[in-house]
Formats: sequence, structure tokens, C-alpha cells
Amino acid sequence: MRTKWLALVLAVVFAAVVAGCGGSSGGADVIKIGQTVALTGDSSMWGQSEKNALEMEIAKINAKGGVLGKKLQLVAYDNRADATEAVNIAKRLVGEKVVAIIGPAQSGVAIATTSVTEPSKVPFIATTATNPKVTVDDKTGKVRNYAFRTCFIDPFQGTVAAQFAVKDLKAKTAAVIYDVGSDYSAWLGKYFIEEFQKQGGKIIANEAFRTGELDFRAILGKVKGSSPDVLFIPTMQKEAALVMKQAADLGIKAKFLGGDGWGSPDLVTLGGSAVEGSYFVNLASLDDPDIQSFIKEYKEKYKSDPVMPNPVMAIDGLYAIVDALKKTNSTDPAKIAEQLAKTKDLQALSGKLTIDPKTHNPLNKPAVIQEVKGGKFVFKAKFVTQ
Amino acid sequence: MFIQTLVTGLAIGGIYALMAVGYSLVFSILNFSNFAYGSIIMLGAYIGYYVLMHMGVPLALAVLLSIAGAAVLCFVNERMAYSTLRKRNASSLYFMISAMGTSIFLENLVYATIGSRFYAFPEVLTQQNVSFGGVSIGLLDVFAIVFSAIAIYGLHYFLQNSKTGIAIRAASYDMQVCQLNGVNVNKVIGWVFLLAGGLAGISGMFLGMKYMVYPTMGWITNKAYIAAVIGGLGSLPGAVVGGLILGVLETFVSAYVSSVVRDVFSFSLLVVLLLVLPTGLFGKFLEEKV
Repeated sequence: MRTKWLALVLAVVFAAVVAGCGGSSGGADVIKIGQTVALTGDSSMWGQSEKNALEMEIAKINAKGGVLGKKLQLVAYDNRADATEAVNIAKRLVGEKVVAIIGPAQSGVAIATTSVTEPSKVPFIATTATNPKVTVDDKTGKVRNYAFRTCFIDPFQGTVAAQFAVKDLKAKTAAVIYDVGSDYSAWLGKYFIEEFQKQGGKIIANEAFRTGELDFRAILGKVKGSSPDVLFIPTMQKEAALVMKQAADLGIKAKFLGGDGWGSPDLVTLGGSAVEGSYFVNLASLDDPDIQSFIKEYKEKYKSDPVMPNPVMAIDGLYAIVDALKKTNSTDPAKIAEQLAKTKDLQALSGKLTIDPKTHNPLNKPAVIQEVKGGKFVFKAKFVTQ
Repeated sequence: MFIQTLVTGLAIGGIYALMAVGYSLVFSILNFSNFAYGSIIMLGAYIGYYVLMHMGVPLALAVLLSIAGAAVLCFVNERMAYSTLRKRNASSLYFMISAMGTSIFLENLVYATIGSRFYAFPEVLTQQNVSFGGVSIGLLDVFAIVFSAIAIYGLHYFLQNSKTGIAIRAASYDMQVCQLNGVNVNKVIGWVFLLAGGLAGISGMFLGMKYMVYPTMGWITNKAYIAAVIGGLGSLPGAVVGGLILGVLETFVSAYVSSVVRDVFSFSLLVVLLLVLPTGLFGKFLEEKV
């Protein structure tokens, strides 16, 4: 008898849950913009900031009457920076009839997302996924019709880092420590090495570690023996902070250098005095004069600084979508994608946005070099792609 | 480099050993792997961080509070997730499933309430090094090794000489017979989880200070689990030896081969060892387990 009751209760609960899931139907008077973003997990700091910024910006657009006479609605789901989860979410967003998707932020996750967006002909604009394979299928060499991004790509970032190391830091030798489980990290390391050698530098150690590694002392012990001028650490801020801390503990004297994965205030809280005087390449900087009004608004609304650079990149993507909506006068995702590829000199948040139709990457995107000084990220130099 | 690697390995192994002992304790009584242990360690680290940074208690007290907090959490974990199963004589498979559920629940609870940020302890505690003959070891590591040794020995002494300790050892032989002889098994198991939780608190504090505090930091217990199996599940000296062996071997693999194959190596070692010695180095069948 008891089991019967239990089954009945479960059935009722299940039915209620299913009904609840299917109950959200947007009216025809809204344009849905999807967002696939990490709201939990190691990357959630950026993800939450990205979502906040988009909500703020969409509210502003809606207050001015929306687009094509309709209000914009953000449909954001948590992809946990996980490729499998991101595929499920992309399917969900396509099912909810979004006109375009903003995100994901991670290269591996974005590449997984293309498996859904290409066949269903819904464009996505990655925010900070910097690996070339996100927008260009490396097997065929063809551009993916529905994949775009608003950030520069890793070869460029690796090139900038290597040139900076040789020219400004006067480095002759370099060691690289990279995360073998991350596309971003492995490729960025590779591009750095290629350019550094092209510039006449010598790579004396190239060491891999597995994602989730905490103790780098064993690897660093090897690096210490060859005393490089520069230690390039193309990882996220957590690993970078640990590597620098432990390198300092072991008395390694090299200059530390990294990519845009470092750009979180966390780097300083986690790395402490060890990260002082290190440099990294970034997509945008808090002290960039072009975005001060956005930062001010964000601070007023959310009582904290935006976690750079994701919010800026996401808003660039939003502007591109809005621009495409206006120019096509349509909410058909396939038409939006066609128009996105033609984006030219659009005034976005980080500057002028031009999408290269051949690669779907932005053209002439400036890179910022930042230095950690007194626990703050200080603007050091700006590089522009040719 | 050889000596430096050895020292680094011992420092890592010391923490493995501490966690492995906690694992083995629970295993010896209930014959299941307490997969929620990692989450308890993580919560212990959060407690220690919170009282140190936000309530301004001195470090020694923060460690004690972290031990106490984790002990209580571990005890509550047993009362909520395992004791019902125990009363129904469920097989150990269900205990493990319940433990995994608890682990995932606690981790996500932290995500949902505290968030996913990483926290680092102030540098004052972690930046001092002791150098001798070109080999450097963090003061924290020295402290961790000494403190772990004291904690493990204290536990050993308690198990050998106190009445509760004797009851725990008796229960690890045979729960039924032990109950027939008038031992309150519920109470004994409560004690075991309190003790294991205390060790989790210490490990959490040391891990947090050595690296950082974040929701998934408990995953390192997979290593402690291997260490416990290598030493022989249920044997405390085995857990200590297993932890030290694993820490040192891993560091040598990272330094001389590659850190990428480190886990391949650890788990292969586990499989090979189990093929040769199914009960681990110190494992015993139906003899004294604790």
C-alpha cells in the first residue's frame, strides 16, 4: 500500500515539474537573445559579471523602445564552462527560438557549441573564446557560418606576449608552463613559443600539467635549474597565482608573463606578493578611457567593478546583434548570421567593431598589456593587429 | 634536485596520510568508502578561513575551530546520511551512493550560498621558508608534517588505551558480537565520525593554507583514498605509510617524467598493487583492523 502511495505522489510531483518546465512561453512581442554562460564553477566570476552587464544594457535598450518595436529579452542559462552542458544549453536556446546567442566564453566550450548552432542555423557570438578553431573548422579550413566572436584570437595574443617579452622585457630565454587539459592554454603556449623563437629567443623548458593541479613545485624545480628570463604561464588566474607563488617560494627570478586568463582581481588576492611586477595580455582594461561610462553605470547598479573583460566583449556582441536586427529588419537567425558577417565599423563598447567575413574574427582589435603594480592592474601598452 | 623533490613529496604525502587515516577509520568500522569526506575537508577549510579572516581569531584557535566544526559536520553527516541505512542493514554499496550524494550536495550548497570564488589565506602564514643546503621547505609544511604526526599518534594512543578506543577496535572486528557484549554501537560510530571529522578539519586547514580554499578542493581526497588502499584499508599505520609513499612517488614522477602522467601513474600503481597484494601493504583479513 505504502509503495502505491509513494508512486502516486512521485507521479504527481513529476507531472508538476514537467508542466512547470513547459510553462514558459514568451509572447510574440519580444525578441529573445540567448546567452550561454558559466554562472557556477571556476569561471563563474566572469560569467555572472557578463550576465549582469547584458541585463543592464538590454534594460537600457528596452527603455528606449527596444528594437524593431519589440522588447529584447535575455534568456541566460548556466553552462558551467562544461562542453557537454553547453551542448544541452545550445539545444535549449535553439528550442526557445532565440535570434542569436551570446557566449560561451571558453574556447573548448564554444567549439562544442558549434555542433548545435551550425545545423540549426542559429548564430552565436563568443565573448572571450580566443582559439582560432571556434570560428574556422580546422578540418576543412572553412569558416563556420554561425560562429562569431568579439575578441582577438590566440595566435595574436601569443604573438603580442612573445614580442613584448623580447622587445620590452629584453628576454633571451623563456620557459612555458601550460595546462594540457585546456585548448586555450595549450595553443596559447604553442603560439608564444613559435613567435618567441622567430624573434630569436630560446625556449629552455616547456612543461605541461593536468587541469586541477595544485602543486607545481616538482615542475618548477626543473625550470629553476635553467633560470629563464621569462616564465610564460598561459593559464587561468588560479593556476597562474599558484605557479607564481610556488616559483617565488623556490626563488625563481624570472619575469612572469601571461594571457587574458589572468585578468581577474583574484590573481592578486590568490598570488599575493608573488604576482607583483608580472605582465599579461588582456582584451580590455578597467582604465581604458573608452569604457569609463559603462564601468560607472555598472558600479552604480551592482556595487562592484565588472570582472573584465567578459562584460565588455558580451556587450560588443549584443550591439552587433542589435545592429543586424535593425539592418535585416527580421528576426530570422539565419539572416542575422548573414548580416553579422558584414558588420563593419560598428561603434561598439570596446571601439570600432569590424567582422572579417573570411574568419568571423574581429579585425584590428587592440590588445592591452597590463602590469600588476601595488596589487592593481596597471595599463602598460596597447598593441593593434595588422 | 633529488633531495628537494623528496622533501616536497614528503610535505604532500603528510597531508595525504592525514586524510587517508580519516578514510581508513570509517572504513574499518562500516566497511564502506566515505566519499563525502572530501566535502567535509572543504567545509573545514571554509570554517577555518571564515573565523580567521572575518572574526579575527588567532591562527591556533582557527585551526581548533576548524577541527571542531568539521568533526561536528562529519558526525551530522553520519546521523543524516548513513545511520538510517545502518539500522536497515543496507549493503555498503548504498552507503557509498549516499556518501556520493552527500558530497555533491555539499559542494553545490557551497556554490549556491558562498559562491565559487577562490580564497587565499594571508601570506604571513605561508611565505616563510626554511632552507638548508640548497633545499627549501615551507615553514607551513614543516608545521603540517609535525602536527599531522602528533594528530595521528594521538589518535593511535586514544584507540589503544581508552575505553572508547577499545570499543571502536572491537566494533571494527564484528559489530554484532560487539553489540551483544553490551557496547553501544551507535555511540561508538558517532565517535569514529567525530574523530575522522577532526582529521578532516586539520587537512582542510593545511590544504587551504598551502594552496587555496574553493568548493572543489575536496577532490584531492581521491588521492587519500588511493593512499589508504595502498596501505591497506582499515589499517592506520598503513594509511600513513601509503600516504607518504604516494606523495613522494607522485612528486618524483612529476619532476623526472611529466606531471601529465602523474595520475596515470598513481592509479596504475593502485591497480598493480591490488593485483599483487589485494589487501594493501598492511591489510589483514579478520585480524585487528585499527
